[in-house]
Amino acid sequence: MIRLDGLSVRVGDFLLQDISFEVPSGGYGLLIGPSGSGKTTLLETVAGHVPPVTGRVHLHGEDVTDLAPERRGVGFVYQNYHLFPHLDVRDNIRYGLLRGPLQAAEQLERVRELASLLGIEALLGRSIHGLSGGETQRVALARALAPRPSILLLDEPFAAVDPATRHMLRRELRAIHTHEKVTTLQVTHDFDEALRLGDVVAVLAEGRIAQLGRPDEVFRFPNSAFVARFIGTGTVLRGEVTRQTAGEDSPFSAWFESGPLRFEVVAEREGAAHAVLRPEDLMLSREPLTGSARNRFPAVVNRVERVGPVSYVHVDAGRPLTAAVTTASAAELGLDAGVEVVVTVKATAIHLV
Amino acid sequence: MTPKDSLPSGAPSAIRTRVPWSRVALATLGALLVVFIVGPLLRLLFLATPASMGEALRDQELLASIALTLGTATAATLIGALLGVPLAYLLARRSFRGRRFIEAVVELPVVIPHPVAGIALLLFLGRHSAVGGIFAKFGIEFVSHIPGIVAGMLFVSVPILVSGAREAFRSVDPRLERVARTLGDPPATVFRRVTLPLAGRGILAAAVLAWARAVSEFGAIVILTYNPQVASVLIYDRFTTIGLPAAVPAALLLLAVALGVFALVRVLQPAERR
Repeated sequence: MIRLDGLSVRVGDFLLQDISFEVPSGGYGLLIGPSGSGKTTLLETVAGHVPPVTGRVHLHGEDVTDLAPERRGVGFVYQNYHLFPHLDVRDNIRYGLLRGPLQAAEQLERVRELASLLGIEALLGRSIHGLSGGETQRVALARALAPRPSILLLDEPFAAVDPATRHMLRRELRAIHTHEKVTTLQVTHDFDEALRLGDVVAVLAEGRIAQLGRPDEVFRFPNSAFVARFIGTGTVLRGEVTRQTAGEDSPFSAWFESGPLRFEVVAEREGAAHAVLRPEDLMLSREPLTGSARNRFPAVVNRVERVGPVSYVHVDAGRPLTAAVTTASAAELGLDAGVEVVVTVKATAIHLV
Repeated sequence: MTPKDSLPSGAPSAIRTRVPWSRVALATLGALLVVFIVGPLLRLLFLATPASMGEALRDQELLASIALTLGTATAATLIGALLGVPLAYLLARRSFRGRRFIEAVVELPVVIPHPVAGIALLLFLGRHSAVGGIFAKFGIEFVSHIPGIVAGMLFVSVPILVSGAREAFRSVDPRLERVARTLGDPPATVFRRVTLPLAGRGILAAAVLAWARAVSEFGAIVILTYNPQVASVLIYDRFTTIGLPAAVPAALLLLAVALGVFALVRVLQPAERR
């Protein structure tokens, strides 16, 4: 278990403040924040390299705030991996075992076990110079895992590899996480990673945790325009909420107006607000759809972005909106730049923050 | 404003036909300097006939003097490394009050004229000074003795060693040390297993440079310990008392030592700093 308790960390000129966050034993937690938001320093604080200004770090129920890094049982993988340049692949992985209780033969056995788990047996005798990004990442992971840490800290572990490798490594990492039963905390700027890997996610904004929760929850119900924009939930529109009929009930039916667009929404308070429109909740058609949905407006397709089986259709409805449709139906509807479409969205699918 | 900016727009032909005068000028200035460095050394090397070298190698006084120089330079370098490498590590890795001040102090000997350093050391280490008196009790005398040579060499060479070692330590990414800590090593073990192996080449290169600086020292030594004579003092002594021909074989032999050291440093330095 990793528990951060009101942690404040000095990052250059500013402070990360009041970071409270818990990853349960065997869990996979993610901290998401923009580049330069102090994520690496926060991880270094958990590992014991950087003392916090205030707050406590608990690992497995024990307060380790004043404990040296070598006594915390923590594995650490930096974004650029930082393999020891004077050691070959085998000795890099073996580094953390030399101090442990294992005999030389057992150490080498553990190195082999990890190498086979990560598919890098062929690299063991190699120098670390000339390894590919993905190979370097696997070696760094094996090195961190070799002494069987109970905690694994990962600093943007996929930032330096190409997308195809990243995809594969993510899947492997999840498998390794299960195999080694290691409580993991990863920092990233990529919310997609959280959705695929995390059990719990914290979004950092302006030095604090802006939102904390299960990744799918955070994705569906971002609690602020910042979080919605940052994690790429969908289009974020700024506008005004007004009641449709006078009353005190809550939630209530309301209008949300943003420039030329007016949506029917379900709101909890009036006044200025942001509406989050998720791409998958926007329906596109060539003719107005029949049915109960009342938010319906004409738009013109700007661009169709194909991402495998899903296509993102960027349209102009007086405000830019993005809809997700299957690539098959995009073709069926003949969606292309300049085509006129009708956008439909259910009142209940518009998330106000 | 670059020359190109000053051209009227619409005159591209002026650019095409322009003679690169600036490049010619730079090349000429550079060439003059290279000739100025290589010329004198080549002139001296032309005197290295088998006869003159044979004469130098049979000259017992010269050989003893070179042996003394190499021995005292080695001693100065070892003492400098013993005192300077830990300091270099502190300067590279820790931030503490007065760090910049200490950094400046360690670099100070670079700007002090060497005879001035010799005078200062003479006053500080002389038999009747406080410090010299303490050493004298242990039978160590500086002035006109071998320890005086070592002291002069140490004073002028230690800045090279400390700043070189400091940069070598700085070139080791602290994150490598942090990774090693999380892998279970306490700081002293991290130093032995990660920092030192990675900084080692740079420290060795700095030590060799410092050693070469010690070998070439004259100004401070000539004031502290004229006799026994190190090679530089011997060359000076023969030049002033006998004349140029007597100084040349000794100069050639010392030049050979210096060139050997130079080659060694080039090999030791990491490729990107060559």
